[in-house]
Amino acid sequence: MALRSIYRGLKKNNLLSPLCNSCSHLHSHSTSFGYKEVREEEKSQMVGNVFTSVASSYDLMNDLMSGGLHRLWKERLVSKLNPFPGMKHLDVAGGTGDVAFRILESINNVGRRAMRDIHDDNVLDETQIFVCDINPNMLNVGKKRAQERGFGDNKSLVWVEGDAEALKFEDGSMDGYTIAFGIRNVTHIEKALAEAHRVLKRGGRFLCLELSHVELPIFKDLYDYYSFSVIPALGELVAGDRESYQYLVESVRRFPSQEKFAKMIAEAGFDKVEYENLVGGVVAIHSGLKF
Amino acid sequence: MYRSAARRILPAVCRRTGHFRSKASPVRFSAPIIHPAAFSAAAASENARNHKPNNFEASKISSSSNEGRKPRVTDRPKAHWQEEQARVLQASLRHVVRPFLPNLQFYYSKNDLLIGWDRLLNFIGQISLGWSDAAMIAGAREVGVSPSIVGSFPRKEAALVEFFMDDCLQRLIDIIDLKEDLTNLIPSNRVAKLVRIRLEMQAPYISKWPQALSIQAQPSNIATSFKQRAMLVDEIWHAAGDESTDIDWYVKRTVLGGIYSTTEIYMLTDTSPDFRDTWAFLDERVREAFDLKKTVQEQTWTHYLASYPERKQQYFAIYLHTTPVRHPLGLEVLRNRKPLNTNNRVSACHHRSVKKYHSSDWLQNITNLLEDAQDMQIFQAKYLAEAVGAGMGGSVQGFVNNLFKG
Repeated sequence: MALRSIYRGLKKNNLLSPLCNSCSHLHSHSTSFGYKEVREEEKSQMVGNVFTSVASSYDLMNDLMSGGLHRLWKERLVSKLNPFPGMKHLDVAGGTGDVAFRILESINNVGRRAMRDIHDDNVLDETQIFVCDINPNMLNVGKKRAQERGFGDNKSLVWVEGDAEALKFEDGSMDGYTIAFGIRNVTHIEKALAEAHRVLKRGGRFLCLELSHVELPIFKDLYDYYSFSVIPALGELVAGDRESYQYLVESVRRFPSQEKFAKMIAEAGFDKVEYENLVGGVVAIHSGLKF
Repeated sequence: MYRSAARRILPAVCRRTGHFRSKASPVRFSAPIIHPAAFSAAAASENARNHKPNNFEASKISSSSNEGRKPRVTDRPKAHWQEEQARVLQASLRHVVRPFLPNLQFYYSKNDLLIGWDRLLNFIGQISLGWSDAAMIAGAREVGVSPSIVGSFPRKEAALVEFFMDDCLQRLIDIIDLKEDLTNLIPSNRVAKLVRIRLEMQAPYISKWPQALSIQAQPSNIATSFKQRAMLVDEIWHAAGDESTDIDWYVKRTVLGGIYSTTEIYMLTDTSPDFRDTWAFLDERVREAFDLKKTVQEQTWTHYLASYPERKQQYFAIYLHTTPVRHPLGLEVLRNRKPLNTNNRVSACHHRSVKKYHSSDWLQNITNLLEDAQDMQIFQAKYLAEAVGAGMGGSVQGFVNNLFKG
């Protein structure tokens, strides 16, 4: 850890810039996988394994763990985004498509249609929502769910396999970027944020929904108890995979606090960085504007 | 003076008036969103002429350094994104009410029927979007910014309306600073003229103004809209030369607030050319307000008394008995009444009120007196309530007159 911060400090002063490229090969930096310390190259592999195993029961487990609240959180995320027809949106780590479906539904919503410009209706066909996920299993589950919901042949929904740290989209091509419950699984958060900044247009918004830190005194203890005792047990019962859910709750604790994450977002180049705590801090929605 | 009073009451004002370097607490970029909605909306809707406090730039870490801007102590410009937001809002205003451009000859031309269609569609596409996020999306597209920015305004339509209100206030201030002929008018005319100037700024948007009013009346927006109106009214009174600092300050602002609101609402349904009827209405109200003070003083006592002969006589009795008139012969007399029989005051007196205040027990006298005074006050309050409930007359003056009539 210390090595990493020194490295970063030196990099800022441009002392190591000629060596930068070779550095990543010379030093293997460690990162966190839950409470374990693992090498960076291993982390993405291990995360991949986690999600391959949970993919089929992912949505059910979400419902059980949050008591159905995750739906409300995602609704809140989408309403903050305020989608509009003709929007080009990128949902990263959105494997099973929850957020993407909601955005599509909100754009096609008949009620909103009444209040729109004629121009908007013409542009409706240009809406494109990209769902990007590093794990193909999650994407398959998402495609199946799209079929069930009637979005199977909707041209607006595009499923892309890709890495949040190295997106294959052009600079300044997206109106919106969301990442729901995905950023803590990324090995280098700053890279993901930098990619988000690159890919957004001027005026584009970055929104991140993530489990975060609770500070309220009594609630914090209740939440800790629930996280460490109930959730892994649920994982074992329902998904048959205790370790994945142990990783999940540990990774939440290791994730930076709301303020720190907001600073990281600002450092990536975003303006007007704000966050909103839901359920007392269990979940936080961070947002930023790109100019 | 009004500015110090305003600063006392409306903390947001000191940021709004560009003349002050405010030491208000900075908007922390990481503060939770919900409650500074008014804050950031106010910040977003302030136009480029305002100055932000120093600490804001310092607390924002790298977005400013990315743009190569160094924090400056004096005269710092607004943050880049706020300027962009203001530009978007300014452009959106053009889409709130789009001008009506019929080209009827084209449509009805028999030969050119086909060519006419796309013009027709174009014209249909010019529908006014009103104070909505559709207008803001159109505005954003015009400025060349992604329409997602609309989502970053905390209360979307309200941000547009508030921006417009601030913009109008700023224009009014500019007009006041420029115009010198205001001092030639008497105060009531000055006030009327200023209200008229302000309302004329709204005239282009009058077809969609009811929507704006309803947005302002929503619970989440009402605090900011109230502040904006208070600032407006303050500005008008100050320009009209108001120097009061006591209870009058509040009374004047409230009265003018009422006049402004009623005129605004009257304007919504006024179809006369150039809103002539509205200005006549406005002049009437202003005149009444200035006469109101005199009216109230004149009407209060005499009408109240005249409506209740009994009370009047009671009062007279008290008055008379507390300031006795001495007969030259040394006897106490009541005007137009029989002289009191000192031996048997109770039986000699036929007037009920005298009985109460003339027993030999001084404490009883005083108690009776106080009870009656209290009764009268209660009665007065009850009567006022009834009068209000019974509905007002056609004008404020009529209302006051009705109040004190029977």
